[in-house]
Amino acid sequence: MPEPIVEARDVAKVYQLGKTEVHALRHVDLVVERGEFLSIAGPSGSGKTTLLNLIGGVDVPTSGTVWVDGEDTSKLTERALTRLRLDHIGFIFQTFNLVAVLTVFQNVEFPLLLQGRMTSEERRRRVNELLESVGLADHSRHRPSELSGGQRQRVAVARALVARPPLVLADEPTANLDSKTGGTIIDLMREMNLRDGTTFIFSTHDPKVMAHASAIVRLEDGRVVGREALQGAEA
Amino acid sequence: MSGRASSRVRQGKILVEMAMRNLVASRVRTLVVGGIVALGVVVVVLGSSLLDSIDAGMTRSIQGSLGGHIQLYNAKSRDPLALYGGTMGESVLEPIEDFAKLKSAALAVPGVKQVVPMGIDQAMVSMGNVFDVALERLRADVRRRQEQGAPAEDPDYEAHKAHLRRMATLLQQELRQAREIADETSGVYKDRKADFDALEQAVQGGFWDRFDEDPLGSLEFLENRVAPLSLDGGFTFIRYVGTDPEAFQKAFPGAQVVEGTAIPPGQRGVLLGKLYAEEWLKLRAARRLDKIKEARELHGRKISKDEELQRWVKENTGQTRDILLQLDPVRTREAVRRLQEALRSRETDPARLVAVLLDTDDANFDERYRIFYDRLAPLLQLYSVKVGDTITIKAPSRSGYVNSVNVPVHGFVEFRGLERSALAGMMSVMDVHSWRDLYGYLTPERAAEIRKLKERAGATSIAREDAEAALFGGGGGGDAAAPTAAPQAIDESKLLGTMGARQMRDELFQRRYGQAETDQGVALNAAVILEDPRRIAETMPRLVEAARQAGIEVKAMTWLEASGIVGQSMRLLRMVLYLAVLIIFAVALVIINNAMVMATLQRVKEIGTMRAIGAQRRFVLVLVVVEVVTTGLVFGGLGAGLGILLVHVVGWTGGIAATNDTMYFLFSGPALIPRLGTASLLSSVAIVFAVSILSALYPAVLAMRVTPIEAMQSDE
Repeated sequence: MPEPIVEARDVAKVYQLGKTEVHALRHVDLVVERGEFLSIAGPSGSGKTTLLNLIGGVDVPTSGTVWVDGEDTSKLTERALTRLRLDHIGFIFQTFNLVAVLTVFQNVEFPLLLQGRMTSEERRRRVNELLESVGLADHSRHRPSELSGGQRQRVAVARALVARPPLVLADEPTANLDSKTGGTIIDLMREMNLRDGTTFIFSTHDPKVMAHASAIVRLEDGRVVGREALQGAEA
Repeated sequence: MSGRASSRVRQGKILVEMAMRNLVASRVRTLVVGGIVALGVVVVVLGSSLLDSIDAGMTRSIQGSLGGHIQLYNAKSRDPLALYGGTMGESVLEPIEDFAKLKSAALAVPGVKQVVPMGIDQAMVSMGNVFDVALERLRADVRRRQEQGAPAEDPDYEAHKAHLRRMATLLQQELRQAREIADETSGVYKDRKADFDALEQAVQGGFWDRFDEDPLGSLEFLENRVAPLSLDGGFTFIRYVGTDPEAFQKAFPGAQVVEGTAIPPGQRGVLLGKLYAEEWLKLRAARRLDKIKEARELHGRKISKDEELQRWVKENTGQTRDILLQLDPVRTREAVRRLQEALRSRETDPARLVAVLLDTDDANFDERYRIFYDRLAPLLQLYSVKVGDTITIKAPSRSGYVNSVNVPVHGFVEFRGLERSALAGMMSVMDVHSWRDLYGYLTPERAAEIRKLKERAGATSIAREDAEAALFGGGGGGDAAAPTAAPQAIDESKLLGTMGARQMRDELFQRRYGQAETDQGVALNAAVILEDPRRIAETMPRLVEAARQAGIEVKAMTWLEASGIVGQSMRLLRMVLYLAVLIIFAVALVIINNAMVMATLQRVKEIGTMRAIGAQRRFVLVLVVVEVVTTGLVFGGLGAGLGILLVHVVGWTGGIAATNDTMYFLFSGPALIPRLGTASLLSSVAIVFAVSILSALYPAVLAMRVTPIEAMQSDE
């Protein structure tokens, strides 16, 4: 049995909001196996985003430990954490977060440039391949502002996958899209999950979106209140 | 390794591309920031080009007129040397006793081309008055009549007599006005009563009827009693540099003889400063006309609106006596004829005609100015001194006496670039022998000699000195003159017994001094000319050391230091420019900083996203810096281009015209043509670069602090 892609043990996160302490997460334990297509569900304020931030290495827990691909995130320097995000994690944001001044192609290419491991020819092939698979091969020269919301999110998916990370995190990826478009985005993510075995963890409060997951982790008031596996959830 | 390096290059490419696109995306901000940068660079390029050429011009003017490259003066001097005078008058310098010794020591220093002796001072100068001129003419007539016999018809003689009588009449009219105001019982009135009586006598027909009976006695009466009442002429100040004229001319090409000739090698003489002559020696009415003309043409002032111009016109119409006194009856008739014609007037009174001519307004000024110079001026002597005249200079000597020296005027000198400088353009150039006579410095040997003479002669020593005063002073009056340090003094005084003073003076003026005589003697400072002006700093200590070896303690000064206030104005201008540049770029810094902080805040989400995706902090930092520096360099480049273009445009259009004397002085001429210097271009690049980096720092740090969490926040 390979080690899990994500493991959280007794994780707590406390924010200071003025004089009051906000307990965003309390005593969270979570194991995500490779190849899962996991949905984190819960009402807003339940700690979904906080949990994703901790898994994504953009934030560190107040107590407890989070391992991502075998690395204890709290033991990493800022530089190493950034490197971890670059090489091991892809991100999909609720608001797409494309770089406005770059073209579709350049947005997707961006992580590869940061990695700096490929020649421009290799990068071009990889980017085009991904744009092909998200159905935007014809839009590579467009600017994000020239695209619809669904197209933008597909660019974001391509960007998240372009460096072939073992883990992709998506925080409410469909929240800013109509349900049909949202559905196609989830289908696209699922397709990539099945094709490449990339682990996806996405948060949502939309039951229709949750239905696509291989497993659902439910959060309430910063606690994990349940984990249920759905059919066809084997890696 | 090479993979890493090339990844940097790739990151660099996307950085620059993002920076550029960010700049284009927010055009307004980029244009505002860039505009300020460009403006700053234009100011730097244009300003420093202007200053550089002012600097070069002033350097040329000052070095080429009086400053040379290095100035040496006695180290024991109380004041520092100030070639153009200090704020507290002339600087007090201890003399360099034997210039020849210093000269040979300094010439032995490598790179030294020339060493010129100098002594700068100011003194009273007597220009003689118009009475003297008229009396001199009449005296010549009397002498001729005595030697050759009096012809029955002698129109010159009669005309000259009539001229003097007319002058006395005019003088009486002028003084009568003063007398009407005066209280007849006051002491002053009593003192002057005798003067008025003498004048009254000179006006009466009886005096002139009896003139031929005792012409010499009558002349003496006019000379001693009447001429002194004329306030005209009298004394003015003169500032001069005593030097070796031949060496001076070679060393200072900027000193140009504009009228007359240079002082012949080895001879005595003075070249009067042209500006000095304009200011002090020119007929006042003519000078005022010149000034009105300049005010109207250069500054666009109007007589009708300008109180000062109105005052000048009023002074011109009220003070026609200067002009009338110069005209003898023959010339008066000619002047009346010419003015009647030019002014289309039937007026026969010359005084009224001249007054009408000088009563100018904005409409007729140009015509009247032309009439004055074309028609009237040829009948007049415009300057109270002309080439060939002899002037008498009186100065308090080192020994305490007032020394008096007669010097022939060989010409007028102008200092190129400093023609209009009230400080520098006033300078006259005098031969070092006359200067030494005035300075009256006693060498120790000479002093000892005089002491011995005094002991031997006892009380008669005073009489002897009076005799020498007559020799050197000519019209020295009551002043006693000290014996001079000239080595030939004894020889010259031997001549006294056999010749009259006038003849004696001519002998003195004809005398040629050898180079050794010129060099062996006192000087106050020495201008050193170098082969290579860039070696000033290193040559200065060598000169001081060489002089010390020769037993002379001197201080060395650069030409700029020695030029005092004149040179300081350059430094002041530079400081003003630097201050302006500093302010512009301080403002630029604040604005760029603000703009970039705002840009960073607007892009927090984008920056957070990049950080989340895996961009290191340094990437973000460099992104901001690249944006600002790119703006700086692009617009700085545009500004530099514009500055260069402006410099050329100003040059093509003939430069910036000097509209007043200060500008004329600063520009070292009538116009300033800016010259582009590599230094100004490089410094503008450096400033822009520094300012960009500085103004990018804070926003860059802000951007660096953006956490990836910011990317996760939704837009609400």
